[in-house]
Amino acid sequence: MAIAKAERLMNLALCLLGTRRPLSKRELRESVEAYLEAGSDDSFNRMFERDKDDLRELGLVIETVESLDGEIGYLARRDSNRLPPITLDAEEAAALGLAAKVWQQARLAGAASGALQKLRAAGLPEDVDPYEAHSALEPRIPVHEAAFEPLMLACRDRRPVVFEYRKANAAQPEPRHVEPWALECWRGHWYLAGFDRDRGAERVFRLSRITGKVRSRGSRFTAPVPDVVTVRETVASWAGETADRSALIRLRTGAGYPLRAKATGVRELGDGWDELEIPYGHGLDAWLVEFGPDVVVLEPAELRADVVDRLRAVAKG
Amino acid sequence: MAGKPVRPVNAIDQTRRMLSLVTYLRERPGARVEDVARAFGITEDELVSDLDVLPMCGTSFRGGDLLDIDTDGERIWWHNPAALGADAAEPLRLAADEATALLVAARAVATLPGLRESDRQALLRATAKVETSAGEAAGASSRLSVTFESEGGVFADVDRAISERRRLWIRYYSPARDEVTEREIDPIRLVSVGHTYVEAWCRRSEARRTFRLDRVAEIRILDEPSAPPEVELRDLSEGLVQPAAEDPEVVVEVGPGGRWVAEYYPHDSADELPDGGLRITLRTPDPASLRRLALRLGRDGRIVSPAALADSARQAAREALAAYDGIEAAGARDGAESVSGAGARPGTGAADGQHDRQERAL
Repeated sequence: MAIAKAERLMNLALCLLGTRRPLSKRELRESVEAYLEAGSDDSFNRMFERDKDDLRELGLVIETVESLDGEIGYLARRDSNRLPPITLDAEEAAALGLAAKVWQQARLAGAASGALQKLRAAGLPEDVDPYEAHSALEPRIPVHEAAFEPLMLACRDRRPVVFEYRKANAAQPEPRHVEPWALECWRGHWYLAGFDRDRGAERVFRLSRITGKVRSRGSRFTAPVPDVVTVRETVASWAGETADRSALIRLRTGAGYPLRAKATGVRELGDGWDELEIPYGHGLDAWLVEFGPDVVVLEPAELRADVVDRLRAVAKG
Repeated sequence: MAGKPVRPVNAIDQTRRMLSLVTYLRERPGARVEDVARAFGITEDELVSDLDVLPMCGTSFRGGDLLDIDTDGERIWWHNPAALGADAAEPLRLAADEATALLVAARAVATLPGLRESDRQALLRATAKVETSAGEAAGASSRLSVTFESEGGVFADVDRAISERRRLWIRYYSPARDEVTEREIDPIRLVSVGHTYVEAWCRRSEARRTFRLDRVAEIRILDEPSAPPEVELRDLSEGLVQPAAEDPEVVVEVGPGGRWVAEYYPHDSADELPDGGLRITLRTPDPASLRRLALRLGRDGRIVSPAALADSARQAAREALAAYDGIEAAGARDGAESVSGAGARPGTGAADGQHDRQERAL
């Protein structure tokens, strides 16, 4: 039976951590049983390169040292791999315990548990759970978008990407070349901010509108990365939360609680209707139409016309 | 506690865990399987599978010192801890992904409005310490961020009611019916997934319900004790909306401008249409609640079935239009293209279905 990959990685890690001098590839091949069974030089070399990459993903700092006779040696020095001292009290430990359970994305869930395990090994106080209530609070970070992981890695490594993106109203997706800066999750949806190379400007993308694979480009970033990337403000303006005007509507008494909650002024008309002044931002027309005959738009005329248009489309439908 | 964290079995995660495990076990001869599994946040079976692998590992270039670790199922013994040099068993520094995963999550939770101040302070202190300890590896964590939305005042009251085991009275807005109703609820847990919800036993409907905090119009903590029946907590990783197989089917056809429906409504199928639109099939316990959707879609889509739902949307639109007959018709641009839409997008209260179990809006 083939030797499990975890066993192979573990042996390689222990060899590299345990040595005081660089070990050559040949020495490592003789030390790890799975490598002895690897067969050809080619398959060993491929396996060894992949394994080193995997261990580096786990945070292991592996140095490559060339000896006088030109042979390459590898080692993981203790100084560069030791966790700096960290002391956390029981409350802080409980807080991190809660945080480590938040991710629902496999890679980050694994990484968060791994972080907590390293801290445990370093003496992080164990589950005394000082607040019983913690077990009644469950924050979860949802990740349903397939594009998340490749984009997360591209943001981390600052690698340009290309993907097919379907704009809100577009029938067909179009390729976009982007230098990805940051990902942000707002109201359960993920967004990417970055430099759009074709448009020569910053853009925000909604991950659920990316179709197909995210491919990374070998090149480097060409535009400077801003110190602060603001995704939420852009998305909030899409969602119509940055109102710059106000509208006047009539609302049936008892209906439309969320409109009342947003209203800046309410006047009872006494005939089964109230008059409300509400913030008027992008998308208000579509929202008002949802309330059907319980809402009548009074001002401005432009909003009233948009609502009437929409209602006519439905009435004809 | 419900909602088992996502924990795939893969070689990377297992290796990571075993490296920490050897450090941990070295300090604790005779550690109990149960305790170690809890400390590592894994099942006892997962731990035992690690303990099966460890005896195959070692630094064999030194002459075959495999780790002599075994367990009788209750305690774990390591007979040759010297097989690993003292410094080979030191705790390892955090990898970039590890630091990112932990820090982004901790920062997100710390921003939850309504969180107890002592909890927030503990999170912030822990975050600062982890940042320092992770050093450069913490750098990339600024490239991911998450905001949880919550109504701070409501959150704090629910949190208090849960810890004091008291019943709550709420006035709650249900978008499906556009009405505010009064209920008494026994809160079970607070769940944040973008928005924050309280899962509770609803005394009015005698059933489990999920309430979104920003739809709670008013809240009071009652003196009565909370007594929710023992209910099995659902795993919410698949989302809060879990339509039942017996729920009636609704078919919606949307044009390119209505494709967002597929992003917001859990559905059984979404088939491409030749014009760039979609034919979406979904299920809901109360199709009438989708009248809002039909109205919002306007010319971007229509309800195909059930016919009664399509009719009620048309009827509502006609009634609404009648009210405008009385107002001067100036400005009504018959047939003109609406210019306001970079895509119809549900506003804050929009696009929700029946009662409280249908949570799907922004």
